[in-house]
Amino acid sequence: MDNSVKQFLFNTMKQEFTPFPVDKSICTGWAEGEKRGGETILYTGCMYQLAPLSAIFNRISPIVSRMSSPQLILGMAKKVHPEKRELERSYKILRRISSILKKNGVDFGYLFEDEPYSGAFLLELGMLDEFEEYAKLVKDKLLSMGVKRIITVDPHSQNALSRYSEFFAFNIEVINYLDLVKDVGESRSKGTYVIHDSCLYSRFMNKRDVYRLILKKSGVSIKEDYMVTSKENSLCCGGPLAPVNDGLSSEIGKYRATQLKRVSDKVIVQCPFCYTNLSPYVEAIDIAEMISL
Amino acid sequence: MSENIWYVAIERAVNNNIPRVKSILERHTYISDARAKLRQAKLEVLSNLKEYVDMTMESVRRNGGNVYLAKDGEEARSIVEKIVGDKNTIVMGKSMVAYECGIRQHLINKGKEVWETDLGEFLIQLSNEPPSHIIAPAIHMTREQASKVIRKIDSTSSAQSHEEIAGEARKFLRQKFINAEVGITGANAISADTGSILLIENEGNIRMSSIMPEVHIAIAGVEKIVPTLEHAFLEVMVQSAYAGLYPPTYVNLTSGPSSTGDIEMKRVSPAHGPKEFHLILLDNGRFKTADDPILSEALLCIRCGRCHFHCPVYRIMGQKWGDPPFTGPMGAMWSYVVYGDGKPSLLCAHSAGCREVCPMDINIPKVLERIKYIAQK
Ligand code: SF4
Repeated sequence: MDNSVKQFLFNTMKQEFTPFPVDKSICTGWAEGEKRGGETILYTGCMYQLAPLSAIFNRISPIVSRMSSPQLILGMAKKVHPEKRELERSYKILRRISSILKKNGVDFGYLFEDEPYSGAFLLELGMLDEFEEYAKLVKDKLLSMGVKRIITVDPHSQNALSRYSEFFAFNIEVINYLDLVKDVGESRSKGTYVIHDSCLYSRFMNKRDVYRLILKKSGVSIKEDYMVTSKENSLCCGGPLAPVNDGLSSEIGKYRATQLKRVSDKVIVQCPFCYTNLSPYVEAIDIAEMISL
Repeated sequence: MSENIWYVAIERAVNNNIPRVKSILERHTYISDARAKLRQAKLEVLSNLKEYVDMTMESVRRNGGNVYLAKDGEEARSIVEKIVGDKNTIVMGKSMVAYECGIRQHLINKGKEVWETDLGEFLIQLSNEPPSHIIAPAIHMTREQASKVIRKIDSTSSAQSHEEIAGEARKFLRQKFINAEVGITGANAISADTGSILLIENEGNIRMSSIMPEVHIAIAGVEKIVPTLEHAFLEVMVQSAYAGLYPPTYVNLTSGPSSTGDIEMKRVSPAHGPKEFHLILLDNGRFKTADDPILSEALLCIRCGRCHFHCPVYRIMGQKWGDPPFTGPMGAMWSYVVYGDGKPSLLCAHSAGCREVCPMDINIPKVLERIKYIAQK
């Protein structure tokens, strides 16, 4: 990603608390009927909703950065919406996560348009000073709204928010929804599936067994293969590289999908970016789409 | 090299190597303790690097060897050039540090006859390509390609199988070993207390390169120093196990020039082996790296090459990721350590398969995050 683009995004982020200029109604569209605010919040980071747009953004940003006024064009991103089918899918996932948590007795609110982006991509690009500066703003915003506990729904937000305390004191509890799901119903899924583990969930947060257990309780049939799905051998989907090198990111996605297909042609993911990077090459299904209430 | 050939080659290598390492580690469970002990020993050296370099130099001299501390590749090249002098025929055992310093090319430019003797390096030399993996430098080459490359030494060769290709190289290099005046090797580990170097291998080429010529030059980074000979043995055990080559066929231990005590128990030198032993210790960014609490982890690397196979970026990019001879996750770290190049780090997807399998427990994604940070400053 070009430096001028990075700077532009950083400035936008500080003002609007979104990863790039975006119409905020895209982020909140799923949440009709959700309680506003509260001490415990369900935190989407707008990741599921924006993942399809991020893919487009990453593809065009190198071209845009070579233009004479990239800021002007990037500013127009606010007018772009994800494809309806993709957006509806992300809303369905978020609504389902919300229902599952409620069924499990978890009480929470949602911050709607006040929900700040976590800053994950600054962290993942190694822009640590910018991440720290931005994260402090997020912390203040969350504290000003009385937030004490955050329930994340994706690995990138979980990772970014739980690393705030490496940079400054951060006393808001950050927990992932998968850890709160104890009771699930019988899944209506048929056939055998292979799990593509999110790298962050699997190797940074040790959650492999958490979602395997959920799937087992749901009665989903999972096939494992040491060379493809073990902790040491499962490979990345390439998603985190999309802002840096979109071509390489897609190549990795394709390579990973080919490996997974050798085990099963139905792949369970737990991250919106894994879905975006793998779904062009294999049928990918989010874990929240798999489990029933 | 087309991408398809690379995918075929890496797939074969991964499917051969990963299950083999797994079964070695399951069969020889003591390796796990060895690596933990080794990590501690190496951390101790890194936190007192200067003292350990001094101790090593003193030990080498005590053994009758010559020892040098080169601040960079240029200084290392000039030391080698002086030692070689007017000798002409040189054989090299695989050494990444020699590659890092451009030793082979430098000597060739000076009109010397220089041969890499490790089969992979030899193929790389013949095809004039950079190495693509630290322990299997010709990993990107399929058998079919290697068979074409070997025809460069004998255009009539019909070698096709792995065995036949190795046979052609053996025939050609045998004569080179016999005639060589200087042998240049690396070192897998150097013990500070005894001034010994340890080298592991399976081909026998390092043993020949370090024994047959009159002069043996070993060149290694200062991070290869461990406190004692016991730790040096641990290092070669752990390195070979994690490389999937356990037990190593040969472990070569050299502590100075050859000698004999057979007449009245008086030790005289030389005997049958080299009459000169030279150890060149290389800094080239390592001292500076040792001072950084996060980056210094990179110096724990024992070059087993395991992280490569568990990395999605390497699986796609191969030798195109990193500055030769450094490829893969370790290469993204080391491209910065010795060449100051932070760009390879930017391609790390922090998938952390590397960290999962690294015998030295190097938090590679964390090191690369720091390099990304520095590179963008
Ligand atoms: S970084 Fe670790 S796994 Fe990679 S080559 Fe070095 S020691 Fe081996």
